[in-house]
Amino acid sequence: MHSHTNDAAGTSSAGSTEGKIRCIFLSEFHATAGCKISCQVPDNYISKDVFDAINVYIIPKQHLQRCILTVNAMDVKIVGYPVGIQDQQKYARNAFLFNLCFVCDSRARSVQYEPVVKKLSEYLIMMEEESCFLSREDDKRRLQNIFQTVLRDLNERKVATIVEGDNTIYLKIVMHKPDPPAVKDHMVPLLLANLRDTPLENWDLTTQQILPYINGINHVARIAAEADVETDLVKSCIQNLVYYGVVQLLPILKYSNVYMTQNLKHLIQSASLSNACRKYVALKPDKTLPSVQRIFQFYASMTHGVTLRAICQRLCPQHHNIDERKMVIFGLQHKFIRCIHKYPVFTGSVPSGRQKMYTGLISFDEICCKTGLSPCTIERDIEKDTNVTVIWK
Amino acid sequence: MEANVNPLAVILVYFDSKGDRLLYRYPYQTLGQTEVATDEQRKSRKRNPYAAANTDDLLQTPTHISAAKSQGQLQGFADDVLSALFAVKPQLCNQKFELKLNDVRFVSHPTLIPHKEQRPSNASSSISLPSAGGVTANPAPAAPSSVLAVKKQQMLINIVFALHAQASYSIVKCYHELSKRLGLALKFEEQRSGYLTEQTAHMARTHDEQQQQPLERTLELIAERCSLAQALKSIFHDLCTTGLLSTSLNQNLTLCFCLPAKAHQLHKKGSMVDPETIDRCLRALKPYHGMLLLVDFAELLDCVPPTGARMLWQLVDAYNPLISLQSMASNADLSIEHVYKLVSHLVYWAKATIIYPLCETNVYVIAPDAPLHTKSHLVEKFSTRFAGMSLFEVISDFSLPTSIGHLTTPLQQPARQGILAQMVLWMLQHHLLMQLHTYVQFMPSEDEFGDSASCGHQLRGASDDEGDQDADQDELHDGSMLSMSSQPLPVPVASINHRRDVSEDHSSLASDNIAVQPSSSHKSNFSMTASLSTENCDSIDSMEDEQKLKELLQVFNDADRAAIRRIPASLNVDDLALLVKLYQMGYFKSEHHLEEIMYFENLRRSQLLQLLDKFRDVLIIYETEDPAIASMYNNK
Repeated sequence: MHSHTNDAAGTSSAGSTEGKIRCIFLSEFHATAGCKISCQVPDNYISKDVFDAINVYIIPKQHLQRCILTVNAMDVKIVGYPVGIQDQQKYARNAFLFNLCFVCDSRARSVQYEPVVKKLSEYLIMMEEESCFLSREDDKRRLQNIFQTVLRDLNERKVATIVEGDNTIYLKIVMHKPDPPAVKDHMVPLLLANLRDTPLENWDLTTQQILPYINGINHVARIAAEADVETDLVKSCIQNLVYYGVVQLLPILKYSNVYMTQNLKHLIQSASLSNACRKYVALKPDKTLPSVQRIFQFYASMTHGVTLRAICQRLCPQHHNIDERKMVIFGLQHKFIRCIHKYPVFTGSVPSGRQKMYTGLISFDEICCKTGLSPCTIERDIEKDTNVTVIWK
Repeated sequence: MEANVNPLAVILVYFDSKGDRLLYRYPYQTLGQTEVATDEQRKSRKRNPYAAANTDDLLQTPTHISAAKSQGQLQGFADDVLSALFAVKPQLCNQKFELKLNDVRFVSHPTLIPHKEQRPSNASSSISLPSAGGVTANPAPAAPSSVLAVKKQQMLINIVFALHAQASYSIVKCYHELSKRLGLALKFEEQRSGYLTEQTAHMARTHDEQQQQPLERTLELIAERCSLAQALKSIFHDLCTTGLLSTSLNQNLTLCFCLPAKAHQLHKKGSMVDPETIDRCLRALKPYHGMLLLVDFAELLDCVPPTGARMLWQLVDAYNPLISLQSMASNADLSIEHVYKLVSHLVYWAKATIIYPLCETNVYVIAPDAPLHTKSHLVEKFSTRFAGMSLFEVISDFSLPTSIGHLTTPLQQPARQGILAQMVLWMLQHHLLMQLHTYVQFMPSEDEFGDSASCGHQLRGASDDEGDQDADQDELHDGSMLSMSSQPLPVPVASINHRRDVSEDHSSLASDNIAVQPSSSHKSNFSMTASLSTENCDSIDSMEDEQKLKELLQVFNDADRAAIRRIPASLNVDDLALLVKLYQMGYFKSEHHLEEIMYFENLRRSQLLQLLDKFRDVLIIYETEDPAIASMYNNK
């Protein structure tokens, strides 16, 4: 129920879940017996009734060979990659038709398994062509072992490596996520996982160079300047990190910022979260951690029209061992608060110069970043101009 | 994301003892050329021998037979392949069927329909349908006796929607529902008048006659001749444009359906409202909520079959965005449950939205995702609706949370307020504004020491007595609260309990190494403070009141009780009684806004605000949006 724990990928498909692989089976078209399951792990997961109802989609007509075919019926979802190997000498019916299938729950997402099914099928095709690995009757035990390993390893670690004879099979589940939004100059990247522990040389060169400057305070343009890396490179690098859920983008932190609470009740309703928050926002970790009450009071005082500066002056966070910057970061990260951005809008007839940027789509921060002017200058500029209205949202 | 909502195609597959056949599909763009196209594609793909086969990026790179969706249409599958795929086995009938081929997802609800036995006269020509909520066709009671005599021959009808593979689960579910309803409607019509037999025969005949013609021409001809094909065509168009459809099959049965993901985009571009979100919002519906219509009265009738419209009219007659659903129900002489149903229906169909009834005290602020920019069509729309007014000027007043009451003064003409209310309603309709509510959280701030230290030193002159207590406490606490002990104490009597709160709180919330105190010493401490506090307070005159207060305070645990005792208002029986009542009802857990408390406890705003003000030391009051209503906004 805690919406803040959902990441973007989780919420995008409401109702469906990330499901495990329930079963792996190999179905083949037997010269005399017709469609059948020749190897299944765990045994009998797909019953004969179910298989009979859907075998048309497991061993389909020739047109549909070699394309990923997912059938979702009778409460199972089966991802397969039907294959036919033509060979007049080897096979009784001049061709060997088979399909390696992964089975999931009918509500589970299965896109991430598609490349894996395809790849494993390609391995099997190769092994079949080389040594009749599949069509020889006696070899099913070895196949069974492969399936068992794949099922266990992929479910547990998302990676499986199997050595079978001369072949080594490498499989990996890559989660598909929606494209991350474009990174802009004024955004502030924040490292989420504790990646400082991973050796620097595991990253690509650009990432290695900019990683030390990602601290939740520096914005993209500044990181680019300090790390002496081209801005566009930094942007694509950070976008990449966002895609992998390593980095989250936050609005730039200024004491003139205004924040607004949302779903603040989660903070007190979840003990683990409030403890994490107390540890995170502590100014000096060796002293007594700030109380939940105090932190809650801080967040609760954030509302439209109240700047962070005003809150700090009123509540003196430093006296309570609270680092207000960390508190804002924690709040944004867990979506207890959101930043209220300021958008100048030009309402006159013909905009000129900077007025062209006042469309209502470009926020104040972005304008500052683009023009390289200080917020005060822009603010004065806007205040003087009667044709400009400012909207906070 | 938005494109994923539209269907790629609708396909009608028919299967009976004579075999399977794809009778109709829309759009017609054909597949004859695609075989060639894909071949070419394949060749061009292979041209570069060094190109690495991209196996991982399945979603981005269409593989060779995949639907080349350049024009957003379904291609790459021959009709006979499709018909063989969708003529499913009987075991799979009457349940959801989903098939994904590369990047196209097919969803349907294959329906088995018994043939109506051929009789020269169709007696049952007028059957009144049960109303509301689309098709709820119960089997027609047409000539039941004679049907038994004939051995029923079943036919399978499968209306398949082809979607983008990326379409989300809830969208797929909606399409499945539509296919199911269509199947049901056809079953009903078949039983009533043999409609399906007639239509399918007609389509099959056209296919046979026109074998020399290009397939596109044949399908066009079918659409001209057969009303079922026409219906499917118009369904496809409606789904692509509005997401709302109201199609009549065989000029008899009206099928109403709404694809919320699409329909809600009409009012707010780029929003993705899935049925789950709507359900969540509707589950939170309370009698004090109000309704705001998003469309004209005339448009309301789209979403209900004519027979179901009576109750809706009753409600619409009583409609007023200024009053609650409860009042609307009583004005319309409907039960509140019926009103909920109707409102839910309207919200689902994107005809209405849930608001808190408009009043002077409501606080509004600009919605975080309001599409406010100079190129927005809303700017013009607004100035046409409210002559000469600029949207930006009006809405910039709501950059800070503002109520209508604040924006108007009694000195102005009353008309001005009316116009302002109209504008607020307009902005709410367009999701430009969002209402903020005040929530209350019971939270005695236990470390008031720190507070006083930071806010001033006026209390420095602590008495000796206090110092003693302080020393005692330090011993007790074994120096664990070092940071606190050096601070001056604001209220002497409460100090002991205070410290106890701190220690208790810490030990429960974090594994700080605070030694657990022997409970006996705590008890004695507490009793001492209690007596001290009563001695100090000379406002209590009668023992009865004291007794009553004590009883009331039993609700709280020791720490909270102490915090409340420090508040002067806690000596007033009435105030305390109200506080305790609201506390016990669970209103102070950030779950209920003031309006809700007022409604359910029958309080006036001023009463409640006074109480909250009196006990502000133990309550944290803050403004935020109503989560139920906010879920309908596109919060990023």
